[in-house]
Amino acid sequence: MSGYLESQLIILCLNVIFAYGIFLPAASGQLNLGAAGFITLGAYSSAWLNASMGGLGLPMFFSIPLAMLFCAFVAFVISFPILRTRGVYMVLATFAFAEVVSGFVINLDFLGGAAGMPVDDHANINVVLPVALGVVLFSFYFMATRLGLTFRSIHDDESVATLFGVNVRSAKVAAFTIGAALTSLGGALYGHHYNYIETQTFNVLLSIYILLYVLLGGTQTAWGPLVGAAFFTAIPELLRQVSKETGEQWIADTRFIFFGAIIVLMMVVRPEGLVTRTMVERLSRRDKGDPPAKTPAAGEVSS
Amino acid sequence: MNASVLDITRLRKSFGGLTVIDDVSFSVTRGSRTALIGPNGAGKTTVFNLLTGVYPIDDGRIVLDGQDITTVPANDRVTYGMSRSFQNIRLMPHLSTVENVMLGQHARARSLPSLLFPLGLTPRNKWAREAADALADAGLGTYPGQVVANLPYGVQKRIEVVRAMVSRPKILLLDEPAAGLNQVETAQLQALLERVSASGTTLLVVEHDMHFVRNLCDHVVVLNFGRKIFEGTPAQVNDDPAVREAYLGSDSSMGAAHAS
Amino acid sequence: MASFIDSALTWIGSSKAGQCFADLDGKLDLLPQQTANGLMLGGVYVMVAVAFTLIIGMLNFLNFTVPALFMVGAVMMWASISGGFGSGADQVMAAIVGPGNQWILGIVVALVVVSLCSLVIERFTYRYMKARYGDATEHALPLVSSLGFLIIFEHVVITIWGSDSLTATSPFGNSSFYIASIQFSTPQVISLLVSLGFVFALSYMLRATRLGRALRSIAEKPDTAPLMGVEVGRIVPIVYVLAGLLCGIAGILFTLNYTTVDAYVGDTVATVAIAGMVIGGLGNVWGAVIGGLIVAMLQIYATHFCGAGVVKIPVWGLLLLILIFKPTGLFGHSAIGKGKF
Repeated sequence: MSGYLESQLIILCLNVIFAYGIFLPAASGQLNLGAAGFITLGAYSSAWLNASMGGLGLPMFFSIPLAMLFCAFVAFVISFPILRTRGVYMVLATFAFAEVVSGFVINLDFLGGAAGMPVDDHANINVVLPVALGVVLFSFYFMATRLGLTFRSIHDDESVATLFGVNVRSAKVAAFTIGAALTSLGGALYGHHYNYIETQTFNVLLSIYILLYVLLGGTQTAWGPLVGAAFFTAIPELLRQVSKETGEQWIADTRFIFFGAIIVLMMVVRPEGLVTRTMVERLSRRDKGDPPAKTPAAGEVSS
Repeated sequence: MNASVLDITRLRKSFGGLTVIDDVSFSVTRGSRTALIGPNGAGKTTVFNLLTGVYPIDDGRIVLDGQDITTVPANDRVTYGMSRSFQNIRLMPHLSTVENVMLGQHARARSLPSLLFPLGLTPRNKWAREAADALADAGLGTYPGQVVANLPYGVQKRIEVVRAMVSRPKILLLDEPAAGLNQVETAQLQALLERVSASGTTLLVVEHDMHFVRNLCDHVVVLNFGRKIFEGTPAQVNDDPAVREAYLGSDSSMGAAHAS
Repeated sequence: MASFIDSALTWIGSSKAGQCFADLDGKLDLLPQQTANGLMLGGVYVMVAVAFTLIIGMLNFLNFTVPALFMVGAVMMWASISGGFGSGADQVMAAIVGPGNQWILGIVVALVVVSLCSLVIERFTYRYMKARYGDATEHALPLVSSLGFLIIFEHVVITIWGSDSLTATSPFGNSSFYIASIQFSTPQVISLLVSLGFVFALSYMLRATRLGRALRSIAEKPDTAPLMGVEVGRIVPIVYVLAGLLCGIAGILFTLNYTTVDAYVGDTVATVAIAGMVIGGLGNVWGAVIGGLIVAMLQIYATHFCGAGVVKIPVWGLLLLILIFKPTGLFGHSAIGKGKF
């Protein structure tokens, strides 16, 4: 595999992992703009556990799971106050959480402070790709379970879910915590792949992009984050390649304007995301060769 | 086994300074089909919300099949044997028909292994089969995989009943099940409810359509301004002076009730 | 583990937290001056916070194009006074208002561009969704579209002028005056007064004019406002343009005072302004004013006592605490922001 393709694949894998971490809470109706916070926590805690100088010197294959456990614990603890907030307030609370994390880390000298921190062990594509595939498979399994069904029910109608026996608070805490563990896994891998981390990389723009992957991919099915992250990792790169091939420099220069325009247009054309429940249903029905469902006659729908 | 499946004693609820349910007591006989009627704003839906724990009650007692559920949290009440449908359809719009029904099974599948069982990856598992069978029994077999948002109103109303039934309730609360349905759909719904009742589930129905109530129910409780003003058979209800007074001039639905 | 505890103790004991109290007397002597600086910085946040609060109060969504509009206003002003539109345009401008006075046209250019941008944004974030889905706040749509616009505007500026810092020379020099040994920069004082003047005008407009009543009826009862004769379709663009103008003016004042801008300047300023808005209470104009001043003070004091490195902790920590324990902020009421997203 060429170096270029490999580096792009790594970026794609990391984005996919981040996206699934934000997708799990989003599937249960929580907008988490704090991805950067959990990425920072995951990257730094794994780097510190792994560091032979000033850290614990654990091998990467122990430090990453431990970092995930640590982040899951942090997420579990803060999920109780954060889940008191709703809607816009939750977007802001998760965002504020990420900023507070970054504010603390930059002041911790044993983590390198503002200068950043070198990371010992290197995770190459042979580590990152299988882990990303594992995250995808896990998420597909998870969304297919009854717990996944309750997440989607909570997304649609919390109070009805409650009346059918769903403990909404526990389900939300679970979604937030598991999502944070996945996000921090992505952060840890990021650190181990690039072998250098600084808090400035994990800024609000990163949180925004990850949330966009998820919302544009669609929160209704487990396909959403995969398609969203792939689509939006690929578009700027493809535009750059097109520019290279055609020699038209302006395409490369303006590719992010196109990117933004695609986001706006997407919301016009497919407001529920690229992949919706109905779309998956239609595709799978075609595969099985089932007859299309009876469509209601005009006037029959009164809702 | 008690003769009554649900006993409501001296139920009281106010919002702000306004008392919306005032000292309401009644019992629902096991296997009966009881209607809860009254003019608009009488507090019928509020009674349902208090029974299912949407709001806490101010005073009184709710006993379901011999167990006091007054202080049981809303999400546990369904496990005591009570589930409900809603005045405006409250199906999950992004779930398929079968998935909506499987949500109704939640009360019976709250253990960790059940929660982590991959329903969606094994299409012929027992939960999915049970949900599909329940839909087929209700005459809704053609719709299992479809996302519910696009289905006809009458079909959605019946799916709500199926969803409530798969939690295997002792008593099923139906909030205006026939509202907004045409004659054919009403007949289909009534047939479904007859079968539910025949299977031994007690029905408690809030309904405006007196014709529907007379056809379906064997017992009527009338509320007005949060108080119980009458309890008896459907045949007696029109002759009761208090009921006539409550309806006359206060609500258009009495006209509809007499006309039908 | 020992190293972790050691590091933590070192941190608390000396290197960071300890430095907040080092030379306390000297720092306290400078406190009045720092307070004045905080007020001036607050002037910038105030207008952006008011822009945010206007849209969230009226339309119930967090408009992420506010940072973009602030940045556009700032960059337009920079371009006008630094020849960013090309030397030809600069000469034309100089011919109209006289050399050195391009800032006058800069105000006009910035406000016109910002208003046009606001109308385009309104068309795609709010009106379209309202027309098609009835409820514009469903599916987090406007939030996502506004993030899309943020990316577009930032990269338009980067494409034209690059992503490096753009520096202008202030047309007003750095004149200043003293009151009781506190130094005030004249343009900054004028900026603060202009900000407060606009907020006063806005608050008067909301309270006393027909347009204001229409706006408030949309904010309070969006469903019944049309029945009472309020033309929502015509009022919503006005809300956008108003918010855009506030951002634009804030951007103009920012360029004139701080003279250095870049494509991401909106992100830095607007995120702090969001914190100010929440602290003041969503949807409340005077709350946004107080909140904007509070976060500016926090930033200035934190920098003054503990150094620039710790600024994030008090500002975002306070925001987090407010969101959790008193989400209505100082003056907000509970109905706002309760939509799904």
